[in-house]
Amino acid sequence: MIIDSAVCLAGMADSAPTKAWLDQMARHAITHAVVAPADGYAAVYNEEGNALLARLVRRYPKQLSGLAVANPWLGTKAVGLLEKAFDDGLMGLFLCPPRQGFRLTESIVDPLLEVCCRRHKPVYAHTGTPICSEPFQLAELARRFPEVTFIMGHAAYPDFWYDVAGALQQAPNLLVETSCQVAAIIQQALDAVGPERVLFGSGWPRSKPGVEILKIRSMGLADDIFEKVMHTNAANCWGLKP
Amino acid sequence: MKIIDAHTHLPGWSFGSRPRPIRELRRAFEDEGLAGAWLFTTDGLLGEPARNNDILAEAVAEHRDFFAPFCTVNPLDGTDAAIRELDRCKSKLGMRGLKLHPWVQAFSMMHPAVEPVLAHAGNLGFPVIFHDGTPPYTSSLQIAALAEKAPQTTIILGHAGLDDLYEDAILACRRHPNIYLCLCSTSGGYSEQIIRHCPVERLLFGSDGGFMPNLIKLAIAKLHETDAPASVLRKIFYDNPQRLLPLPA
Repeated sequence: MIIDSAVCLAGMADSAPTKAWLDQMARHAITHAVVAPADGYAAVYNEEGNALLARLVRRYPKQLSGLAVANPWLGTKAVGLLEKAFDDGLMGLFLCPPRQGFRLTESIVDPLLEVCCRRHKPVYAHTGTPICSEPFQLAELARRFPEVTFIMGHAAYPDFWYDVAGALQQAPNLLVETSCQVAAIIQQALDAVGPERVLFGSGWPRSKPGVEILKIRSMGLADDIFEKVMHTNAANCWGLKP
Repeated sequence: MKIIDAHTHLPGWSFGSRPRPIRELRRAFEDEGLAGAWLFTTDGLLGEPARNNDILAEAVAEHRDFFAPFCTVNPLDGTDAAIRELDRCKSKLGMRGLKLHPWVQAFSMMHPAVEPVLAHAGNLGFPVIFHDGTPPYTSSLQIAALAEKAPQTTIILGHAGLDDLYEDAILACRRHPNIYLCLCSTSGGYSEQIIRHCPVERLLFGSDGGFMPNLIKLAIAKLHETDAPASVLRKIFYDNPQRLLPLPA
């Protein structure tokens, strides 16, 4: 069983992107995917993105879970959007600093993280884009909110590969998601912090599930570690029931 | 389908690697599906370019049917020194192209030595492949600005923008007829966009093979997973690199 913790959907008002993704899931035997609203939904149209995604999750509950978006620059409105999205069934927060125009360490994100802390919701953050979404910036945030689980999206691909293991070591509540990054860096993360803090992601549509699954398979992981990376860790992180 | 990899490295002592006998490297590349490879130094990007050019040339001496060796120079050594080394690499070592990595070699594309080096490489018939996609020294449009000043030189963006800047790489390729994009380490979805929006004759396959294990077969799988038809993939995998730098393979 494969759980994919890194999928973005744009254009959800149209059925085509969702159908394309569900086809990918069927083709690659992905049993469940954690989906976030992409692009304009992440940056500006948070409310629409959350509502469309909540509807998709209700329609495909076995296949999909959803992450909410709330641009921190919206202030108290963002807090309200996030609370409503959680009430509507979304189960974590997606931060995308390059799209949303803030640095991970800026205090404007704190009110959103306080909501996540109170409601026990994980936070997935895009990482790898300087100067706003770097591994040590996310580790700083994870230290600031030690009760919140953070996921280092795309394992900081492309150019922060040197930082991944070091950032993970700074904060036990920080996990890493595998999409886009090369296998050797995923292995370094496993070696640095053990097999419980690495989650499989396809990175769709930026990357593709076939090659991302092949990448993890090519690492030659022991069966129990492979199972943790591809399924168990994500199930635990996101609170997914079997 | 025959495949020539336009972006591979000779493993050296840097980046946690160890040197490998060239025969073993070739066999590994062939086992992963390659019919040929453009081969760059790794250690020479961090220092002593001339010595590492010698090492690379000696390594591939018996394997010119498979490897097209690329030299490197550092423009920070000065224009004259860099151009002398380019001439030596062409006439004495039989190098076939130039690899530059402004991030690792720590020079700005706007350094005054870069433009004459690119122009001279073009005069020698060397395509020049850059690491690109990493600010502040190797953004795709920084390299494109120099490509505009050396229109007779074939310039290759070695990572097609490396995800964060792939859309800038597309702009560069569409604007400048001397710019090629190498789909090396660019994620699959973005590679698909690049293939859709750029002239296919100026796209190349690359993997960074030799730098880390398993990169070649994953890079091949990545392009096969795009929606590009076989006729397009054939150009990217083989026809285009073979037209630029013919290998006997």
